[in-house]
Amino acid sequence: MDYITVAMAKGRTADRALVLLEKAGIHFSEFHDESRKLVVFDDENSIKLIFVKAVDVPTYVEKGAADIGIIGKDTILEDPRDVYELLDLGIGKCKLAVAGFPGTQITGSQFLTVASKYPNAAKDYFDKKGIRTELIKLNGSIELAPLIGMSDVIVDIVETGSTLKENGLVVLETIRDISARLIVNKASYATKTARIQQFIADLKVALEVHS
Amino acid sequence: MYEEMLLNDYENDEQIIETISKRFTTYGYKRIKTSAFEHYDLYSKVKSAINQNEMIKVIDSTGEVLVLRPDVTIPVTQQLAQRTGKLSSELRYYYVQEVFRQPFERSEKIASTQAGIEYFCESSPEADAEVIALACHTMKDLGFNDIKIEIGHAAFFNELVQDLPITSQQVGQLKTLIQAKNIVEIGPFLENFQIANEVKQAIEQIPFLYGNPSDVYDRANGNALTKKMQDTLDYIMDVYRILKMYGLEQYIVIDLGLINHMDYYSDVIFQGYVGRFGKPVLMGGRYDQLGNEFGATLPAIGFACEIESLAKASEKSKRPSTTIDVKIVYEDVQVGQAIQIANELRGRDYRVLSFPKRKEQSDYQQSDYVIQLTETDSSLHYNEELISFSSMKELLDLLASVKGAL
Repeated sequence: MDYITVAMAKGRTADRALVLLEKAGIHFSEFHDESRKLVVFDDENSIKLIFVKAVDVPTYVEKGAADIGIIGKDTILEDPRDVYELLDLGIGKCKLAVAGFPGTQITGSQFLTVASKYPNAAKDYFDKKGIRTELIKLNGSIELAPLIGMSDVIVDIVETGSTLKENGLVVLETIRDISARLIVNKASYATKTARIQQFIADLKVALEVHS
Repeated sequence: MYEEMLLNDYENDEQIIETISKRFTTYGYKRIKTSAFEHYDLYSKVKSAINQNEMIKVIDSTGEVLVLRPDVTIPVTQQLAQRTGKLSSELRYYYVQEVFRQPFERSEKIASTQAGIEYFCESSPEADAEVIALACHTMKDLGFNDIKIEIGHAAFFNELVQDLPITSQQVGQLKTLIQAKNIVEIGPFLENFQIANEVKQAIEQIPFLYGNPSDVYDRANGNALTKKMQDTLDYIMDVYRILKMYGLEQYIVIDLGLINHMDYYSDVIFQGYVGRFGKPVLMGGRYDQLGNEFGATLPAIGFACEIESLAKASEKSKRPSTTIDVKIVYEDVQVGQAIQIANELRGRDYRVLSFPKRKEQSDYQQSDYVIQLTETDSSLHYNEELISFSSMKELLDLLASVKGAL
């Protein structure tokens, strides 16, 4: 039987996803926290798990290098791909939000400078509100941008808000809720329908038990 | 972006083109070509068929804007419309030529070779099934095993959304959600609007209308809110019944959530996948209204596939094939005989290379047969067997018999 390839990024969401998979009867015996292996197998179910960088998960799935991907909605919003998005795993929950100094006015009267790891998603949000923006793409320490006067606001994912608070920033507007999604390559869904639907059904049962 | 083409890439492509062309011909299609440059106006006139940013524009010496052929269907339809306002006889055309689109992604190429058919005929389950059968047949010829053809119908979704109180931009968002089978978000998205419950439920069900045709039919029946949707379902089932007669049921799935990017598709739409290749290898559908854009009534159905994708997909699933049938290795004095045999075999479409014995190693290509010519003996080397022959006729008979044994 052909292996089904699942792609995800190492980290907290992956750990929780692996717990879910375990409940669904899918077990990667070679995997443990300190392992640096990038590919692990569940030979019993013919499932292969590959670890890739988070932003690359949708690419692997769209190209068919992986049949299934588990990835945060934030990444999907930033870089939409031609894939199926079949399940909300309800893990890795957080919010995509606009943050800045308390009292910062967000109006359409002048250009708003926005720093973000998610420039496309941010631009999309402000465009819909009719607010003109200048986007600055950053890859980390986004909170720094308003502190040193590089941007008026930031758009980032917020989990507890403690990083914002420590830097004197607050959430100004919530854009939307984020959670991990299961995405599937369209060709795989057509040629391996039964196995992928089974995989999803097993995960759904595990999700119900989980909640 | 400019992309270099590697010299040895083409052999495989050409074999695929040959196979495809042969199959198209057996269904009665005639080969056509269209111009490499088309008027920009032609494409800006036809509603949202191809994104204008994707077209490669050129300005000629009179200042007119031209585009490098971004598709074939539209110019063929336009030409026919200029010739005739109405279809007096069915027409079957096929083409193999390059199309040019500016890719959004850097890694993709501007030029790709499309092979496709256009079948101008009234809509009927027999005609549509025949075209889908041809698509399937072609994929089988190319040696693919896990073929899946997804069939949908443009009218099913359009009928559901046409009376909704939402803007065309919002219809676009809904399309994207349905194309992604995004069950999680379709419901909440629809909550934003005043939509009757039964319509809402029917839309939410669309992503589940995927799979075995009979099952999908049963499930979809409850969602067919209008007569037209019911007719659509019945039509797809009629097409499927005929495809069963072609012996193709194992390859067919129904996907009522299939919404093609080409807006001119009006009825049956379909796309094909093969195992271990992440993208569709062929796409098609019926476009009965496209002729209207040019003031003619030209119902038609067609599909196209991209040769480069097929080549890539077949690389993954096939063993490399030999490109030479016969190698002739001769001792210098036998050069006349070698040329005679080579000529004879080439005349019979064998692919032949010939070398004097001292240069035997000068070409590393593998061949199915090797003919050895020495002063004392002529023999055919095949499958570890060495068989002598004494005349051209004997050689041809020998080749015919071992070929028959294959």
